[in-house]
Amino acid sequence: MPETLQQNVLRDEQRLPAVPDPGVVVIFGASGDLTARKLVPALYDLAQGRRLPMEFAVVGISRTPMSHDEFRQKLRKGLDEQRAGSVSEDVWESFSKGLFYLPGDSKKPETYEELKAFLQQLDEERGTGGNRVYYLSSSPSLFSTIVERLGEAGMSQEEEGSGYARLVIEKPFGRDLESAKELNGDILRYFREKQIYRIDHYLGKETVQNILALRFSNGIFEPIWNQHYVDHVQITVAEDIGVGTRGAFYEEAGALRDIVQNHVMQVLCLTAMEPPVAFDADSLREEKVKVLKAVRPIPEDEVGEYAVRGQYDGGWVFGEEVKGYREEGNVAPDSETETYVALKLLVDNWRWAGVPFYVRAGKRMPKKSTEIAIQFHKTPHTPFSGPDTRGLEPNVLVIRVQPEEGVSMKIGAKVPGSGFEVRSVNMDLLYGSAFMEEAPDAYQRLLLDLMLGDPTLFIRADEAEGAWEILQPVMESWSKDGHSARYAAGTWGPDEAAALLGHDGREWRRP
Amino acid sequence: MSVEQVERELARLRMDEDGTPGLRASVLNLVTVTDEESAGEVTRIVSKLAGRFPCRAIVMISDTEEQDANLDIRVSAFCDVQGGTGSQVCAEQVEIHAEGPPAHHLMSLAGPLLLPDLPVFLWYPGPFTPNLPEFSSMADLADRIVVNSAAASDSGVCLQELSELAQDTSMPAVGDLQWVGLSPWRSLVTALFDPPDRREELEQIHRVEILHDSRGESRALLLAGWLASTLGWRPESARDNDGAREFVFDGPSGEITVALDPGSEDASLRRVRLYGRELSFQVSRHRELTEAMSTVMRGEELLGERTVQLGFFDQDIILGEELRFRGRDESYAAALRTVAEMLEL
Repeated sequence: MPETLQQNVLRDEQRLPAVPDPGVVVIFGASGDLTARKLVPALYDLAQGRRLPMEFAVVGISRTPMSHDEFRQKLRKGLDEQRAGSVSEDVWESFSKGLFYLPGDSKKPETYEELKAFLQQLDEERGTGGNRVYYLSSSPSLFSTIVERLGEAGMSQEEEGSGYARLVIEKPFGRDLESAKELNGDILRYFREKQIYRIDHYLGKETVQNILALRFSNGIFEPIWNQHYVDHVQITVAEDIGVGTRGAFYEEAGALRDIVQNHVMQVLCLTAMEPPVAFDADSLREEKVKVLKAVRPIPEDEVGEYAVRGQYDGGWVFGEEVKGYREEGNVAPDSETETYVALKLLVDNWRWAGVPFYVRAGKRMPKKSTEIAIQFHKTPHTPFSGPDTRGLEPNVLVIRVQPEEGVSMKIGAKVPGSGFEVRSVNMDLLYGSAFMEEAPDAYQRLLLDLMLGDPTLFIRADEAEGAWEILQPVMESWSKDGHSARYAAGTWGPDEAAALLGHDGREWRRP
Repeated sequence: MSVEQVERELARLRMDEDGTPGLRASVLNLVTVTDEESAGEVTRIVSKLAGRFPCRAIVMISDTEEQDANLDIRVSAFCDVQGGTGSQVCAEQVEIHAEGPPAHHLMSLAGPLLLPDLPVFLWYPGPFTPNLPEFSSMADLADRIVVNSAAASDSGVCLQELSELAQDTSMPAVGDLQWVGLSPWRSLVTALFDPPDRREELEQIHRVEILHDSRGESRALLLAGWLASTLGWRPESARDNDGAREFVFDGPSGEITVALDPGSEDASLRRVRLYGRELSFQVSRHRELTEAMSTVMRGEELLGERTVQLGFFDQDIILGEELRFRGRDESYAAALRTVAEMLEL
């Protein structure tokens, strides 16, 4: 085939953005919230911004009986809520022509026969080219069944010239190590790892990706990013909200499964990993897995020394009185489910030997904040006399992921005047402000990446399992002893969490 | 006002209400050469850019015809308040009115005021020619030159001059706001040929029609130049019929005619049609609306259509897009070369 026919030569230039090949996104569990609130608005944004091909369609599947038009109306309502005032009627009309709905039970094989025929029809009528993304947005308990049915129907195969078949799985990837392995095993019976895209939307956030940019595009940080210079690291993922309407889900999950296993572990990996040789899927994920493997296993009988869990009582958050976790809807009145977790993790490798990573995640904290604080060693000696250096603390580099992305560096500076009084001063830079353009929504970025076939920002099977492996002893220990320490809403967690650092002569910073 | 006084005054302007210095997260220097009449508009654009591209803007308003030397410097800061902390992020503007002899030495004024270690964009919002008296010395300061080829009284001449400039490796890279404004069109035309079964049609294109108005001449020429340079078409002949131009190219699959029709009544660039062997393709925009429709036809049969947003139209957004780009834009240079060849016919 001549070169010009193999590729679209018009696209061969740096200023035209990549656009995926024609294709269909099939969403299982399409009547759920995620489709209307996140997935379809993100796809609409991509379509509006010329990042989707003309030959594109979405097929929603769930048990709720609905026509194509009713499905479109429901999605339009969701879009209006999510993108108030910015929806173009003309663009919607064009985009919505590619939205379809099939009512069906995802457990039944006949649903897949019907789906298969419908997708073939779309290929013929809309030129979608045989490319499929199967997005599992249904209950996790259905994941294995859907995969099995897809496989049995021959829909997971990628044959030469038949287009791609990609599977997207939303977290949680199992609920412990065993179930994660089981789920991965079930999926791998029908899909190859290359076809599987495990989404943790945290990785789609620009601000999270910026951790990599800060570390690996600035030569000044890497030489001091190790045990020679770093005393310890604190990672905080704090939310000011409670569980809200997610009580039933949270009762099953808890903070460890909901936040720590995925978001916190990802941030830990990005903070502690070695520089990847390239920003591609395998290079990046290899390095992340190495970090997870290097985390020292917590002995089950010593969990109390490494892990703290807490649950919020009623309290005050930013002037508003809020109820305790047990008073929330769909929560057992005697629930011990943790809404707060603090862990001390040790990364046993050359770079981080002896440097504790203290991580915490919780709900109903005083404010929403995600940050990584690298606390450096004290100066080995200061020439300034004792009284002059009161108030001088070790350097801290803080990478703020949200809400105000930036870095701050605590440095010592001379107080103006006679004498040589030195104090700590925060140098604060909101580097996000240098590029105040609206960052794409995390789902927008991830959906585009998966249609372009770039799995870099998705989780590999061994990453998901590695994260569970670290937490497994904690989960097992906590399942035997049901007590969560209490903390008042609007505080930074239970006293036991302060003690976790206090034993090491350290304390949590206030984000 | 000395350089030190300018810097001190800018620092004072950046101060928060409580007297603490405002943040300066600058990403570039933007040096603008303009006239008195356009100065207000340039200031408006710079202030709108401030939020997305915190920068130091040096707006130079020169009058070389005045005999007496006169120099007037004003400083201002445009600050955006950031999120919860209320911290300010500011763009700074230094406006320099130079008349008489100082107007012949703009570089000596701009140079000391540049923020160190940041790229310098030299922006000519008005008519541009490399023959402007101050241009070569100002270009020495710049990492990138940004012009608007549509602002020239004769876009064709301007594009020819830009073509030479873009090929001169001793000069900084050149960017053109008309090329930036053309990006959504190029993106939509490109997308028409993404499905593998349409690639053959791309090879078989034999006629292109571009409908524009007088403001869109530069974009229409660049669009034709881009298609020709990318698809390997060589300009062979040209015909001018009452303002409507027709260019004939020799391509890998034979002769291609590109017709530029200035008859658009409601949009600077209104429509582009491409005719392949079996299929015809169209991207069109109605009036100055923000949406554009793409269609694929086989004869009278509609094979596909969609409507998307064309994107950006405001000067500050187009300029912002250009400021994101670094380095030489080879596609633009190639399109310019072809346009220059077309206009020489």
